[in-house]
Amino acid sequence: MRRVEHVMGFPVSLRVDDEGVSEEAADAVFAWLREVDSRFSPFRADSEVSRHGRGELRRDQLSADLAEVLDLCEHYRVATGGAFDAWPPGRGFDPCAVVKGWSVQRAADLLRAAGAGRFVLNAGGDVVASGGPWRVGVRHPEQADKLCTVAELTDGAVATSARYERGDHIVDGRTGRPATGLLSMTVVAASLTEADSVATAAFALGAEGVAWAAARPGCEVFAVDAAGGVLRTEGFPVASRSRAA
Amino acid sequence: MKRAIPVVVLSIAGLVPVWRYEPSAGGTTSTTAEPAVTPSSSASSSGSGSSSASGKVVKGTTVNTDKGPVQVQVTFAGDRITAVSMLQQPNHPQTTAAVPKLIAETLQAQSADIDSVSGATITSEGYKQSLQAAIDAKGA
Repeated sequence: MRRVEHVMGFPVSLRVDDEGVSEEAADAVFAWLREVDSRFSPFRADSEVSRHGRGELRRDQLSADLAEVLDLCEHYRVATGGAFDAWPPGRGFDPCAVVKGWSVQRAADLLRAAGAGRFVLNAGGDVVASGGPWRVGVRHPEQADKLCTVAELTDGAVATSARYERGDHIVDGRTGRPATGLLSMTVVAASLTEADSVATAAFALGAEGVAWAAARPGCEVFAVDAAGGVLRTEGFPVASRSRAA
Repeated sequence: MKRAIPVVVLSIAGLVPVWRYEPSAGGTTSTTAEPAVTPSSSASSSGSGSSSASGKVVKGTTVNTDKGPVQVQVTFAGDRITAVSMLQQPNHPQTTAAVPKLIAETLQAQSADIDSVSGATITSEGYKQSLQAAIDAKGA
């Protein structure tokens, strides 16, 4: 089964190889992501996130889901010395970087609960893979039709942060200025919640984010610096040149 | 002829014993480690003409982690990162054991048989031209 839908402003591609998994399971994935968009988008004035950002909802009035997201935001803010901040200087509350990975990981958990064992879920370039081996290419930061590496995953997640698609949208929360120290930062981790948040946070940290991300337990890193040099962890799961027969 | 990829192991892990045997009890150890590697002479790429032998050394901000404060030092040749080392590392066996080894490589542009593509969040408009769209179209 394959599906592609546009949710939260980006394409979401789903491939499920299990025979017995129903179309309803895929429906539930996209329904959940549309729900997340309506509840957590900072671009919708009536969303829970926007209302919290304007001070209309106190911390104790938030849903358990948003409270969980805020806890994650706080975790990564502290862990990066403020470089990653859902309340960047001069800007409104924006937890998107955490919401994306967290919500897509939960979508993958829904699929597993529905009996899917072998699938790939790709949400705008962030990938959850299950029941591999799966070969996940990492887009070359300067050539859109090329890859800079291929990761091989059995079960896990890959996320990449960069500015080649949407410009300087990642802000260093310590300065309020766009993060420009890296061309791209890719993180492989057990969950997309961790991979996506760490990739974004490390990108916000800039050059020092490479060692920071690499030091997080369970994270493997493939970074391209501003001059186009690669720094990667020894354990990054680089796939063989061609697919095993 | 295919040139050998210069692979430089930034031996952060090699510094582990220094931290491990630092006699201070508790708190953090502070080692002023020299950059673990110096840039190879062939390291300069287009756009970074000035690669002096020593490079520019930048100390990162101190970041508080669950295990204690961490501070890294990054050495640049132009915009290229040539070394990353830890200036401050929590004096904790779990984190010292977990200090990563980083490998420096040259950036490759390759094509390969893949199942999915990770990249910066692509817009719905940009999707049509993307590799992921090609994969989705092939499998549909």
